Amino acid sequence: MTTERAAAAVALRGVSKHYGDVIAVDAVDLDIHDGEFFALLGPSGCGKTTTLRMIGGLEIPSSGSLQIFGEEVGPLPPNKRPVNTVFQSYALFPHMSVQDNVGFGLKMSKASKSEIADRVAQAIGLVRMNGMEQRRPAQLSGGQQQRVALARALVNRPKVLLLDEPLAALDLKLRQDMQFELKSLQREVGITFVFVTHDQEEALSMSDRIGVMDQGRLLQIGSPEDIYDRPINRFVADFIGRSNFLEGTLEDITTVCLANGSRIAVPPVPPDVAATGSPVQVSLRPERVMIGGRDEAPESAARIDGVVEATTFLGSSQVYLVRLDWMTLEVRSGNRPGRHRHEVGDEVSLWWAPDAIAVVRP
Amino acid sequence: MSETAVRPDDTATADLDAELGRAEARRDRAERRRGLLIALPAYAYMVLFFVVPLFIVLLYSFATRTSTGSTSLSGWNLDSYTRLAEPIVRNVVFRSAVLAFITTVICLVVAYPYAYLAATRSTTIRNLMLIAVMIPFWTNFLVRNYTWRLLLSNGGPISSFTERIGLGETSLLFTQTAVVIGLVYSFLPFMILPLYASIDRLDWRLVEASRDLYASGVQSFRKVILPLTMPGVIAGSILVFVPSMGAYVTPELLGGGKQPLLGSYIVTQFLTARNWPFGASLSFVLMAVMLVSTIVYFRSGGKNL
Repeated sequence: MTTERAAAAVALRGVSKHYGDVIAVDAVDLDIHDGEFFALLGPSGCGKTTTLRMIGGLEIPSSGSLQIFGEEVGPLPPNKRPVNTVFQSYALFPHMSVQDNVGFGLKMSKASKSEIADRVAQAIGLVRMNGMEQRRPAQLSGGQQQRVALARALVNRPKVLLLDEPLAALDLKLRQDMQFELKSLQREVGITFVFVTHDQEEALSMSDRIGVMDQGRLLQIGSPEDIYDRPINRFVADFIGRSNFLEGTLEDITTVCLANGSRIAVPPVPPDVAATGSPVQVSLRPERVMIGGRDEAPESAARIDGVVEATTFLGSSQVYLVRLDWMTLEVRSGNRPGRHRHEVGDEVSLWWAPDAIAVVRP
Repeated sequence: MSETAVRPDDTATADLDAELGRAEARRDRAERRRGLLIALPAYAYMVLFFVVPLFIVLLYSFATRTSTGSTSLSGWNLDSYTRLAEPIVRNVVFRSAVLAFITTVICLVVAYPYAYLAATRSTTIRNLMLIAVMIPFWTNFLVRNYTWRLLLSNGGPISSFTERIGLGETSLLFTQTAVVIGLVYSFLPFMILPLYASIDRLDWRLVEASRDLYASGVQSFRKVILPLTMPGVIAGSILVFVPSMGAYVTPELLGGGKQPLLGSYIVTQFLTARNWPFGASLSFVLMAVMLVSTIVYFRSGGKNL
């Protein structure tokens, strides 16, 4: 795809990082677009933080090319790069007031006193920390420290803002509030955000695009919908949301023969995911599966019969574990009015729309 | 949370809370008593060998020196304190303070890079560097000072070395330079160890954050590393300055006692001049000044931490 576009905000070409024999990041190719909210998602130790630190200059790549707005920055020290970082632990300077923390970057880049005062006041206003200017970090709550860390980075007007799990230390309620706040802040300032997280919900709710990493490799890049609906392999499908995996073989590009011998229709499988005749897994999201009595299933759709083995009420939904003759499927049914609730032991049918499933590499 | 009416069981809950509170207070008191008991030997030791002698020194400083040089514990007066204002005393104190200050600064300049290096290397190198600091302690303090006498003497190894490389003979022994060398050598570990401890505790993520915020290596050191390791700098400086100020053996052996320092001067008062009240008042004032300046130093440093 060669669309006419200005240089990417961040461009990685075959970037690797080795520590002795350990490969932390393995030949990553990645373009992050100007003004986008990009999430690097993966389990701990997958190399996402190392990738972020290489963009920030806190680690130097072992090989490959790393460009920020077309400028090669691979070996440059962090203070020579037009990026700033919001650290996981916030890393606020404990011996400085909020004001001095926020003004640190401007002071180091030799801005005039009046400019520093203006921009610091503006940044503190942006994160709604007015009135706290003279406090020390130790006198602030976790959420407030988070805001100061954001202001301290944004005040420098970086071309790219790097965020290393900035919400991990906050409790659930505050984390959800901050997700919305971060997103709207990003729209307001228009800066490219690169965000590292292991929390798939956070990545799905905030990002324009997500890069999923595992064991140092970048597995898939795409919009949250792409990643969720069309994961390329079992790891991605399993890591993002919950899923059932049905083993089978790809017979032709629209048919999978399941382990029990039954055939199901699938959306056309691109050849880069699996070739005809190769073993595949069908990813079936619990909330995409319909559940009903044996007579309720429409004739046309793919269907499987089973027996309810267990059920859990979650408030917004009801989860069923349905025992088939060769495996157990998890089904999640929305809590809508008039919905019939099935009990343990009920004989039920499961069915789904053809586009509700994704074929993935095992 | 919400302002609802008082439920009947609220009073019962309050009673239970109060009872639990009292039980906790009882436990705390028992805990404190036990703590006191464990610390008792240490307290007794401190009182017997520190507080009591100190009190005796204080007592003697108000006593009278008889014409024969013995001390009469009667006719209490402040004579020995008025003598502190004499020019000769002021000179001795000033000279000692300057030497102690120079010693402290040199120790700081030498110890900081050493401690920094030790704290940032691999475990093996760090342990080797720390052991190297402690090895001199395995030899007697006096022996080490006599060794320096040998090294610094006319025609000694240092002198012959400077002669060989064309700088001419050096006669360092019995100079103030020799005293400073000896003091730095003796007290360097007391500077290195607290510095090492505070650099080792430093949160390096803060250093990374400063580099990320456009600080160069030097700026990062001045604005983040140094302020955050200030407790180590202060502790080390006090541990070097205070004993340097009152040092006796090193100035005697390496300085030749030509220009007396405070330590020697106090010893002279007790042994040669046989003026115990004056020696006692000197000791006591020295200690009081040190104590006050230490408190002031810690208070001023504490504000920034």
